[in-house]
Amino acid sequence: MAERSATFLWSMRFLYLVLCGLVMFIHLLPLEPVTTFWAAPDLMIALTFAWVLRRPEYAPLVFITGAFLLADFLFHRPPGLWAALVLIGSQTLRAKAPDLRDLTFPMEWLSVATTLIAITIGYRMVLLILVIDAPPLSLSLIQVLTTLAAYPLVVLASQTVLRVRKIAPGEVDAMRTS
Amino acid sequence: MARDRAQDNDYFGQLRKLLLAVLVLCLLAIFLVWRIDSPRVERFRAQVIDTVVPNFDWAMAPVTGAVNILRDFQSYQRIYQQNQELRRELQQMKSWREAALQLEQENARLLDLNNVQLDPRLTYVTGVVLADSGSPFRQSVLINVGARDGIVDGWATMDGLGLVGRISGVGENSARVVLLTDSSSGIPVTVQPSGHQALVAGDNSGSPLLTFLEDDDGVRPGDRVMTSGDGGVFPAGLLVGRVTQDPGGRLRVRLSADYERLEFLRVLRNWAQERIEDPGSLVEPDTPATEELSESADPLEEDEIGPEPADG
Repeated sequence: MAERSATFLWSMRFLYLVLCGLVMFIHLLPLEPVTTFWAAPDLMIALTFAWVLRRPEYAPLVFITGAFLLADFLFHRPPGLWAALVLIGSQTLRAKAPDLRDLTFPMEWLSVATTLIAITIGYRMVLLILVIDAPPLSLSLIQVLTTLAAYPLVVLASQTVLRVRKIAPGEVDAMRTS
Repeated sequence: MARDRAQDNDYFGQLRKLLLAVLVLCLLAIFLVWRIDSPRVERFRAQVIDTVVPNFDWAMAPVTGAVNILRDFQSYQRIYQQNQELRRELQQMKSWREAALQLEQENARLLDLNNVQLDPRLTYVTGVVLADSGSPFRQSVLINVGARDGIVDGWATMDGLGLVGRISGVGENSARVVLLTDSSSGIPVTVQPSGHQALVAGDNSGSPLLTFLEDDDGVRPGDRVMTSGDGGVFPAGLLVGRVTQDPGGRLRVRLSADYERLEFLRVLRNWAQERIEDPGSLVEPDTPATEELSESADPLEEDEIGPEPADG
């Protein structure tokens, strides 16, 4: 039984990586007209935050780091900065997760929103301080908004299709003993 | 039991905090290294893309194809309208073709008259677009030719019609093309027929700005914009687009290249052009050399040099 749950855990972790890879793949497809006036939601962030708040053990630190560092390299962002901020943001959320567990979804959404806005502002501040040309402000804003709009959908898909749910009281002990 | 678990959690919690700190420091170190020594990290980035993206290629082609088929299917719905439009355009094109043929003959005659030789070294390599930049903040595409095919940083890239961008970042099998619309792109151009010099600077919108124009008066919407070849970045005379005016009154360039449909790109081979840097000995004699000559040479040689200007 314990062995089965261990393989299940690792398969969920790899599922996280595969989903991140899928998102990057879709972004890289040469489909969109090159100039766009709106930014598609950053689904990787929504996925990471949703999973970290539900089952942090499915999205371990090293996997988040790897996925976002690769994304930084592939999407021509300054490498490392966005990944570091996402890592900090996700772990802040993870620390808050026990308090959020009992609250309703809008509260969770609110805390995800504050975290996302905080790391976006932090990202732009660092770029500003180090004199690196930052992406246009309007696009950043639109991306934050679309990501937040997509977050409930990501959560819904995670819960219904992938069965990544918050641990119900009592389930922890069942997992421990099994 | 409960105390045991609490300790357990505490231990793992500490460990995780340590790991988090280490990872964040590593990432920030990568970022700082990139900030300090950008070219090296960019080369590394090119290598990463070079290994990752071609692996996606087998999946990218069918997915892109399928989506494009779907889009085409949508366009079947207005097939009648399109047919009408195409007929009208064909009519116009026929008259243009007639004009072009006449001009071509005239051009051939004139070239023959002048015995002009176009630069034979301006050949090209054709590549297929593998991926776009993946983010709306960067206007670039990845093509499937790289250092293996002799691509060099800085070469100009065109589609069949006009300039698309320049090579920036070369991997073994792939290269990144920064488009003219990217906000970091700026190329020197000439506006025809007035001959004004200007700079086409991208601003992440579909048509880049025409800046650093000496005076706006001679330039009208509809004028042709060609590369000027200043600075040795691009060969001169490549078509960029036509001048337009945006609602704010600023001059922009409507690009000739079809940016909605970038599929095959031509990379122009552009070996380092010869540059004239010194004024040349005819205009201004090389003074230190002549001094040396007069010091070391015997009087007889000086006599030989002396009368020469009198001859001329």
